[in-house]
Amino acid sequence: MRSTEIVDGRLRLVLANTLAAVEDGRSEIMRFLGPLDAMAQNRLEVLFEELVSNTIRHGFAKGSGQSIHVEVERGPGAVTLVFEDDGLPFDPTQAELPEGFTSAETARIGGLGIPLIVKLSSALRYEELSSRNDTGFHPRNRTTVSVAAQSAAAEEDA
Amino acid sequence: MDIQHSDIGDVRKVILAGRLDTAGVDLIETRFGASIVPAGKNTVVDLSQVTFLASMGIRMLIATNRSLSRKGGKFALYGATPAVREVIDTVALTELIPLADSEVEAIGIVGG
Repeated sequence: MRSTEIVDGRLRLVLANTLAAVEDGRSEIMRFLGPLDAMAQNRLEVLFEELVSNTIRHGFAKGSGQSIHVEVERGPGAVTLVFEDDGLPFDPTQAELPEGFTSAETARIGGLGIPLIVKLSSALRYEELSSRNDTGFHPRNRTTVSVAAQSAAAEEDA
Repeated sequence: MDIQHSDIGDVRKVILAGRLDTAGVDLIETRFGASIVPAGKNTVVDLSQVTFLASMGIRMLIATNRSLSRKGGKFALYGATPAVREVIDTVALTELIPLADSEVEAIGIVGG
């Protein structure tokens, strides 16, 4: 992980182009959010894993200095993650959902992250970016996901 | 990520423990396949200690199921936590691999 900071109550991470960054980022995000209801926490972790690892595997040139910027905001009743990267454009809202399984022999093993991204998020938005900023990071993709979430204490009280 | 296997009669039982994320699958995938495919037995996989599952783990299960089915073996999962079950249901994996509530039920499904 390249950097982590909290700005205006939001966590901002810069992740390197390595799969090890997935675990580093996940740990940092869960530490920032604190205990959540178990299902929401799992949905967030799955979404994070799928979006980051997909970008690293398919959006970046291997060994490049490219990075993923993640902003995390905990609002009332929901957690929102915003991912920006400078990799190949990829719109998960337009990706084709895989067809159902019919047999062990023909079962597709790719593209399984798409239904997880689409169905586990409460809201999902994609923007292809073209603006440049002064930081030297020129993102081409912005994906925003939200998950309805309450604190673990609220879940216990319910 | 940890793995153990044993036999219950003619059925191979595999226990997975830990996170089946990208790193976990990377660590366990070869051993998982090796504990199941060469034996070619009907197999049940205990997911009760799996704390996380995403697409890479699903992919591992599908690939192993395919290799086992080519040897005539059947495959079933059991013991998934609610969070892991939600992931399994979201990708409709049970259209391909049964998910039981218990070891006894899983063994019954694969015909042990």
